[in-house]
Formats: sequence, C-alpha cells, structure tokens
Amino acid sequence: MKDKLLKLAAFCCAVTLSACGGRTNKTVTAPDGKLDPCTIRFSWWGGDDRHEATLEAIKLWNSRHPEIVITPEYGGWDGWTEKTAAQIGGGTAPDIMQINYDWLVTLSPDGKGFYDLDRLADQLDLSGFDEDVLSFGRVDGLLNAVTVSVCGRGPFYNSQTYESLGASFPETWDDLLALGETMRGSDKYPIDLDIQSGFTAWYLSVVYIQQKTGRNLITMDGELGFTVEDIEAALDFYKSLEDSHAVRTVKEHTDQDGNSALYQSSEFISGRVAGVLEWGSSVGKYEMVLPEGALKAGPLLADENGNNSGWMIKPSLLYAISANTEHPDEAAAFMDFMLNDSECAEILGTTRGIPSSEYAEKSLENSEKLAGLVLENHEMLEAADTVTISPYMELDRMKEFYNTAIEKVSYGTEDTHTAAQEMYDAMSSYLEKIRK
Amino acid sequence: MKKRTYNNPVGVGKYTGLLLITPFIAGFLLFTLYPFAASFLLGLTDYDGVHPPQFIGFENYRELLADSELHDAALVTIKYTLILVPLKLIISLFAAMLLNLEVKGIGIYRTAFYVPSILGANLAVVIMWQFLFTSGGLVNQLIGLTGADAVSWYGDSRYALVTIILLRLWEFGSAMVLFLNALRDVPKEYYDAAKVDGCGGVRSFFAITLPMLKNVIFLNLVLQTIAAMQEFNAPYMLTGGGPMRSTYTIGMMIYNEMFRYHDAGTANAVSWLLFLCITAAVLILFRLTGRNREDSI
Repeated sequence: MKDKLLKLAAFCCAVTLSACGGRTNKTVTAPDGKLDPCTIRFSWWGGDDRHEATLEAIKLWNSRHPEIVITPEYGGWDGWTEKTAAQIGGGTAPDIMQINYDWLVTLSPDGKGFYDLDRLADQLDLSGFDEDVLSFGRVDGLLNAVTVSVCGRGPFYNSQTYESLGASFPETWDDLLALGETMRGSDKYPIDLDIQSGFTAWYLSVVYIQQKTGRNLITMDGELGFTVEDIEAALDFYKSLEDSHAVRTVKEHTDQDGNSALYQSSEFISGRVAGVLEWGSSVGKYEMVLPEGALKAGPLLADENGNNSGWMIKPSLLYAISANTEHPDEAAAFMDFMLNDSECAEILGTTRGIPSSEYAEKSLENSEKLAGLVLENHEMLEAADTVTISPYMELDRMKEFYNTAIEKVSYGTEDTHTAAQEMYDAMSSYLEKIRK
Repeated sequence: MKKRTYNNPVGVGKYTGLLLITPFIAGFLLFTLYPFAASFLLGLTDYDGVHPPQFIGFENYRELLADSELHDAALVTIKYTLILVPLKLIISLFAAMLLNLEVKGIGIYRTAFYVPSILGANLAVVIMWQFLFTSGGLVNQLIGLTGADAVSWYGDSRYALVTIILLRLWEFGSAMVLFLNALRDVPKEYYDAAKVDGCGGVRSFFAITLPMLKNVIFLNLVLQTIAAMQEFNAPYMLTGGGPMRSTYTIGMMIYNEMFRYHDAGTANAVSWLLFLCITAAVLILFRLTGRNREDSI
C-alpha cells in the first residue's frame, strides 16, 4: 500500500511539473500560404483614441474579409503586461498581440516565445521597413515582432495655463527649475513626474544624467552603464525638481490623484498641473481631456550650451503573433493590413505614433494626416542626438528599483547617497541574474 | 431482530451515490488539489513561465526569509488583520442587532446594509473611494468644516492603510448576515426572564446575547481572519501598495512576483508561506477560543 502511494505521489509530481513546462513543447502550426475562414483574436492597450481608431480599422478588415473575423481585446496600460503574461503562460494568448519592447526579454528570451515572422513572408510584407527598425524585434536571429513605430518621451504642456501665467515653455533644465519657482505663487506646476508604471520621475532624471555624462543607464545587452555617483546625481536632480516646485512631491501626487493616471486626474484636467512627460505615440489620451489645441509639444530640455542629447527612443510598440496560434497565415495577413494598408493607415492615423512602415507613412502624408503633437515630438527627437533605450530598462523589477529610490528620497527616509547605493546594488544583481 | 430493508423505488444502485458526487470530486481534484500540489512543487523551482521549471529545493524559501520585501509585506498584513478583524466583528454585530429590531421596512434596511459587500473592491467603488479620500475629497471637506487640518489619506504612510481598512469595514454585510441569523435564533424568553429579574440592556447583551453567539463569533473570526490575511484587491486598486510599502500586503507580493516579475517559483513559495501563516493563525484561534466554545449551547 505504502509503495503504491509513493508511486502515485511520484506520478503526480511528474505530471504537475511536466504540465507547468508544457507550453514550450507545443508544436508550432506551420503556415500553408492560404487564408481560411476563421476567428482570430487581436489584443492591444492604449487610450480611447487608439481604441476607437483600431475598432474602426477592424470594421474595415471585416468588410473586406468577412470570413476572417477579428475579435478585439483591449484596455488601458495598467495591468496589461500582467494580463498578457498570464495569457501567454496559460497558453491562451491572442493570435496577434501588441507588445511592449521589454516583453521580448521576459517572454521570449530565446526567440521562441513568439511566432517567427520570417516564416510568414507570403502574407506579411516587410519591404517598407528599414532593417534597423526590424532588428528591434529580432531575438536570437528570429523575427519575433515588427516595430509599429519608433518614438520617445518628450514634454507636452498645457498652453492655456502657461499663457495665463505669461510663461513660455522651458528650453533648458535651469528654465524648468526657475519656472517651478515662478509657478509656486500661483500653486501651479510646470510639469508632472510620477512613480507609477511609467516611472517618469526616474526617466527624466536619467535623460539629465545621460546628457551630462554621455553614459547610458543600461546598455543594449543589459550591462549597467551608470555608476553609483551617476545614480546619486540623478536622484539629487530629481530632488531639486521637487524642491524648486517644478514637480509635485510624491506625497502631494499620491494625495491628490490617489492611484489614478495623470490624464484622469482633476489636477491635470483643470490645468493646475500644466505638463506631462509622455511618449509621442500615447499623448492622444492627454490631448483628449484638455480643450482642443491646448496641449502643445515643448522643446527637449537641453543644458546651457544647447546640448539636448540623452533623450531616448525605442520601438513604441510592436506586433507579434502567438507561438501557439493555429492561424498563422490569417494572423500575418491581418498584421500586414494593420501595418501597411493605406486605408487602414488613414483610419489609425498617429494613434500608435508615426508608422515605421514606409507605405503607411506615405498614406498619412498623402492624406495630410501626418500632423499634430506626435509629428512634432517625432521631429524633435529625430533632430536630437538620441539614445536607444535598452529593453532591460523597462522591466517591471527594474521600475520597482527606480521608484523605490525616488520614493525614499522624496519622503526623506533616505539620503540620495544611500538610496543610490541600494539601487545600484539591486540593479546590478538583478541584471546579472536575468542576463543568464 | 429482523434487519429493516427499504424499497428502492427509483432504482438507485450501488455506485449511484459515488456517481452523483463525481462532478464535485472531479472539480475538487482539478481545481483545488491539483493547483495546491502544483503550487508547492513550483515553489521548489526556478520558473519564469517561459523556460521549463528547474528544481532548486528550498532555495526560494531561504531567499524569502531574508527578503525585506516579505518582511514588510508580512508586517503590513498582520497589522491590517489585527485592526480590521475586531473592528469588523464589532460593527457587523452592532449592525445585526439594529437590524434585528422589529421595525417597519426592516427588509429594505437589511438589503441596503448588505449591498456594499456585493460590490467588493471593484472599479466603481475605487473611484468612489478616490472621490472621498483624495486631498480635495469629500472626507477632507467635511473635516475642514470642523476647522481641523486636512488628512493626507493616501500620501501619508500612517493613514493609507486606514483607507483600505475603512473600505473593508464598509463591506461588513457577510459577517452581519451570519450574526443576524444567529440573533434570530436566540429565544426571546431569555430576555423576558432577564427583564423580570431586573436585568438591563447592557447586562442582557453580555449575559445572554454574547454567550449565545459564541459559535458564530468564532466562525466570523476565522472567516474574516482568513480573508484579511489574503487581502489583495483593495490595496492593489486603491494605493498600489504605497506609499513606502505601507499597504503592501502578502497578497500583493504574490501577484507582483507572479505577473510583474515573472518569478513563478518565488510567487508560489510566498503563497505557501501565507498558507502556513493562515493555518497557524486559525490553529491559534481554535486554541484560544476552544474552551469557551465547548460550553456553548
């Protein structure tokens, strides 16, 4: 009896562990070069502007291909990574996914986490993309994803608030600090930084240090580029922004907005917080909550010599196909439509940034839809000496390190030196672990 | 004595009972026992959800015991449980006693008191809580009317946990329903007799009501303790665990390790530590209250 029980327990252990690791063993469906009737799921995150445009684009697809039904799955950014990771882990991922750059590191470290798109050349035309842009989506030589657009964060300001105060947009770091002092009297803030999932407080501090030192926070292959002194200087810089009333303190921010995103905050909508550091591809949601034309792109902040290097760019988002899809041809055809189709490009506009596809960009140019804040931000970044963000920089664990240090400095529970040392140690050991 | 036999008019066979409970057994094996066993085994592995799990023994547990994140989360969870559970029991018992009064339209009041429990910590409730407790929110406006300073509900680590406790206190309906049901079972004659003997309301409460409710109090105590120790939703939605991890519960840590940091091994190890803590807490409650319960009617 005891022997039987032991055997049963051993069998259960084997079944359990094999089931846990089973996802990677599933056979990948080979393309057959045909488009068969089916239903495929497409997921993305974004704001309302992106949702509305994408749903319109899906309508257009359905009118052309009624036999291939697209089921949309969409929502806001917060929690989206967790949701998608759970779907992929559970083998229930949508056929086509809008993915973030760092997901390639976490969800496909060996390049086998997503479908190899090079196998789908019959349906997916990538001739309109630069090889440099495509290389963002390659892991171990396998094309895991296609970059939809390349973008970077830049400052955007509520021009109505600035005009009411007779202030102009800051051009240098010193201007920003001085503007904070000017706005102190009217209890307004020139810009907002946070320690939420966007980690803008640390992001801007990194830009400042990268501009000053020429060193990158993290290299493309996951090595830490900053020294402890660089991190300390970045934290000092952040503290100076708070002290000069250029940004709300973490405590004020939390008190006033709770856990809400800035574009849902009455402080931003009312104009009291008069700026945001945002990706060009996602700024639409901020634009929508302010009076038309109120939000304007500001210059990339520079040092006193006009040097505006250090600002960062990355693939704003990418499209990938699930390694488990049973409809690779159909998914590739839909992806091609979303990336290259001229009518679709006009519907989507710049809701995902300036398209990296030459064909889609041309369509927007021809229809005079290549305009607005996204384009202004894009052009500013193109003119600057930018740095490509390492995919390791946006990993959630790394964000936790940044935000913890910023929070401690803001609340005054640690000095910048101690917080910098802790952050350096935590980042070094984590990067070493994840690079393996 | 002749053995009694029963007719079997519907043809119930030897295995019919077993067959009837098969759906439950299957569900239990698949959705409870299997995840339970899998969770323990995964806690002994290094597993990122992508590569096959690697067996590493108790390494996750060893690292966790030295991890300040777990220490912080455990302290918050204990503090939260110790404050919330007694308060919730007192409030729900008080509400149950009020709702036990014979008043016209009492059914409406009972429903109204129970509604918050159905809502849980969903988005609408979170938005309402934001509206109430942000710096310019309704609660601070009311405090302002008294001339007192506004309270930093979300930004101050001393008060952030209070907002979550208040949310869960507001949802006292499930505990209240159990109390209400037990109160209705207390014979009225006991109170009448006590009254004749000159016993006042307070004395009746301590001499009759509380002893009669001992078992239900214990049941609520155990259920609420388990629920509080597993808290995740409210801090996740309201505060994100901040500020300064002051609302970061073990439930949030499990979620972060699993879904944000893709460390399924650590997440499952934390889950098992939480399971052991809950088991210990329940055993302590049994030990502390066991003697009294044996005396109950």
